Amino acid sequence: MPGVSIRGLRKRYGDVAAVDGLDLEVKPGELVALLGPSGCGKTTTLRVVAGFLAPDSGEVWVGDRCLSSPATVIPPERRRMGMIFQSYALWPHMTVAQNVGYGLRFSKDGRRGVPRSERDGKVTEMLRVVQLAGYEQRYPGELSGGQQQRVAVARALVVEPEILLLDEPLSNLDASLREEMRFEIRRLHETFGITTLYVTHDQSEAMVISDRVAVLDQGRVAQIGTAEELFERPRTRFVAEFIGKTNLIEGTAERSDIFVRGPLRLRVFDANLTPGPVVLSIRPHQIALGPASLAPPSSAGENVLRATVLRASYLGDAVDYQVQLDGGDLVLRVAGPVTRRFRPGDAVALTVLQCSAVRL
Amino acid sequence: MARELTVTLRPLPSRLEGLDRSAPVWIIAAAALLLLMLLPLGWLGYLSVSGEGGLTLAHYARVFTDARLQKALWNTVVLAFWSALLSLAIGAPMAWLTARTDLPGKRVIRGLVMASFVTPPFLGAFAWVMLAGPNAGYLNKLYRGLSGAEAPLLNIFTMPGLIFVVALYTFPYVYIMIVNTLELIASDLEEAASILGASRLWVALTVTLPMVAPAILSGFILSVLQALALFGSPAILALPAGFHTITTQIWALFQYPPKVEMAAAFSVPLLLATALLLFLQKKLLGRRGYAAVGGKGGQRRQIALGPWRQPALVACLAVMACAIFLPYGILAKAAFSRAWAQPLTWDNVTLGNWSFTFLSISTQTAIVNTLELGILTACVGAGLATLLAYITNRRLIVGHQLLAFLALAPVVIPGVVLAVGLFIAYTRPPFLLYGTLWILFLAYLTKEMPVGYSQSDATFRGIHPELEEAGRILGAGRLRVLGEITAPLARSGIIATWCFIFIGVIRELSASILLFTPNTKVMSVVIFDLKEEGQFGAIAVLGLFMLAVTFLAVVLMQTLLGRDVLGARPSGGSG
Repeated sequence: MPGVSIRGLRKRYGDVAAVDGLDLEVKPGELVALLGPSGCGKTTTLRVVAGFLAPDSGEVWVGDRCLSSPATVIPPERRRMGMIFQSYALWPHMTVAQNVGYGLRFSKDGRRGVPRSERDGKVTEMLRVVQLAGYEQRYPGELSGGQQQRVAVARALVVEPEILLLDEPLSNLDASLREEMRFEIRRLHETFGITTLYVTHDQSEAMVISDRVAVLDQGRVAQIGTAEELFERPRTRFVAEFIGKTNLIEGTAERSDIFVRGPLRLRVFDANLTPGPVVLSIRPHQIALGPASLAPPSSAGENVLRATVLRASYLGDAVDYQVQLDGGDLVLRVAGPVTRRFRPGDAVALTVLQCSAVRL
Repeated sequence: MARELTVTLRPLPSRLEGLDRSAPVWIIAAAALLLLMLLPLGWLGYLSVSGEGGLTLAHYARVFTDARLQKALWNTVVLAFWSALLSLAIGAPMAWLTARTDLPGKRVIRGLVMASFVTPPFLGAFAWVMLAGPNAGYLNKLYRGLSGAEAPLLNIFTMPGLIFVVALYTFPYVYIMIVNTLELIASDLEEAASILGASRLWVALTVTLPMVAPAILSGFILSVLQALALFGSPAILALPAGFHTITTQIWALFQYPPKVEMAAAFSVPLLLATALLLFLQKKLLGRRGYAAVGGKGGQRRQIALGPWRQPALVACLAVMACAIFLPYGILAKAAFSRAWAQPLTWDNVTLGNWSFTFLSISTQTAIVNTLELGILTACVGAGLATLLAYITNRRLIVGHQLLAFLALAPVVIPGVVLAVGLFIAYTRPPFLLYGTLWILFLAYLTKEMPVGYSQSDATFRGIHPELEEAGRILGAGRLRVLGEITAPLARSGIIATWCFIFIGVIRELSASILLFTPNTKVMSVVIFDLKEEGQFGAIAVLGLFMLAVTFLAVVLMQTLLGRDVLGARPSGGSG
């Protein structure tokens, strides 16, 4: 099972650079999500990897084969890839069995096409895997959105591709089905172990499904890492704001691990700050809330701040607070548990458990 | 005949492959375009300025100073303007009633408008001669019989008569444009006005009307274009009344001995006028080809007409009576009567007209010619249109937008102008095509290409590129994908293209009338000849035959496409 290597990819449409210097390494058997807002270049990147677009510069390697370069593009039919499209692209004039079995007829570079006698068996087996056993003779028009999606998955997987590409496959489904299918896709990935690139704009989907997430911003990878790395330690402002909610505070780095803004003074753990201006990102759940009267005295290792609650919104599984720090006008968002609730006007003590410095 | 090209376009992301296999395609396309359009138009332009001693503007000078010719120009302007206005006055309210209200019998009305759309205008003109001719017209006879008066009630051989008949067969264009636009507008905008207290009429005038204004203007322009290019109706109704339009004047200039340079000089202003109008229409509609409307779109609820339901229906049916019932009725009567002007008694009924018509060798030849040309043009045209539409839709070559533009460009050329150009180009070496069916074939192919192309274009827009990409990523090459995936999905659309072109060729008159020779007549020309002989029975028979063939093709297309010629889906909703 090879990995995918995208090196220095650039692709322009007119004077707009859709992809602007993108580097990405996908390890063999890994599922990497390409996450970003619309226009960030994720779909363009996927289509270059699939061979539908030629790069302006840069290369796409799969294992030890260079598949795309400005000079040559190996056509899609010879790339041994599978793709699941946003619109599913099921052929309405063919049955489910004919759709799924379509790719089995073709030989691919050294591997011969599957003989007819085995084809039906493979199709039936794959339909069973995606829980559509018995649907062989139906037509796509007779199926629901979720069923069509599973046929698309079956069709891509049955040919045993080396690389699997998914282009926002869940965006046409309703919310509850989407949640269910996320786990389905993850389960299938763990069963088959195919190197996969998954394009989406939905961050929770990316975090559930993938091994690593690459956040794309304006045609480049802003940060790549596990969901935890991105969430707990965002490296750029864009990533901090795109993934989840955050408080961004501008200030100065005094020492390699001290952040200062006016009277506010915080210790940044595991940091290597260069003295100078810096932006701090603190997630709402990285702050613990307690009554001011019970606040521990500020000591080494603890970032304790005093504040007043401005607003408290009950969300059912958490409470969303806006608190104003004493001695300044800084307002922070804090996520607190429902078991210990505060009301507007309460004096509270904030303990900053974790924060990270992001690039300006 | 320029059909309105209202197709609803879904914007597709760019899939440019960057593979430049253009050279052979461009050579073929360039050769085709040269043959079809540039050569004739080039000769047309050249001849219009060529005289004894070289280039001259003398012809143009004569065109604009000759009183006779000036009159023809003026008549054309009057005809075009008033018939377009009348088309608007008929088409817009009918469109509103069909698309927005609870008018009863909507499907029937829609079907009748479609029938009016495919009826050749010159057949309608013939029928109205039989209905409202001052001497023998059926309606006049009724009137005289009932009132005892001497003078006729109606005289169709007048400018108002001509305007009336032209409008009857042009209003469907306005209707289509406005209906398609109205179906895009959600009801909430109008309901907002109703809740605030506005009456139905007030809402229609102050909310709906401004939103469809671009479509209305566009429909008006399109009607003007139609009227400018018509030959049959003016020839039948204006000439006996003693006045000309530009098209009949050009035709007159072609009668022996042909004054070709004058005809050329006359054609060029007409061509420029048409080009200008089409340019205006495109500007009005923007790039998307249909009127953009505000609001988010959505549910459409019908406006209750209340006490106005029946009167509205009666009004619509009255219009359709003038366009369909009366003309078709009188044609049927004439087809089966010995003397069409006499009442239909048992000894007047005869099948003699049918035998006379179909047993005549020249008619048989003409029918065969028409069907041959129809089938040939439809096959070649559909093939060419499909190829061009696929190339431009999938952006397979550099400069595909230019190809699309050129495929649609012939819509600018009125039939007579095209005929003049073809005549000039192909009555001289190296292509001596005049006198053969080939010159007619070229004329039809050029004229019907825009219609064929836009239908093929719509077909491929309906086939998502991802359907083909899915095949390719699974291992199928381009050609295999074309054969196994694209072709089956495009099949009904291609057949529809074929039908559109076929129907256009069957009823074509304005180019045929200048390019035929005694051996290469087509049905429309024969009908015209029969007019000279006063053989109304035979005219009616041939006319009905032509209509039958046309409707057969229409039904075929409707069955295949699942929607009617006007572009509506026969689903519930607006009925």
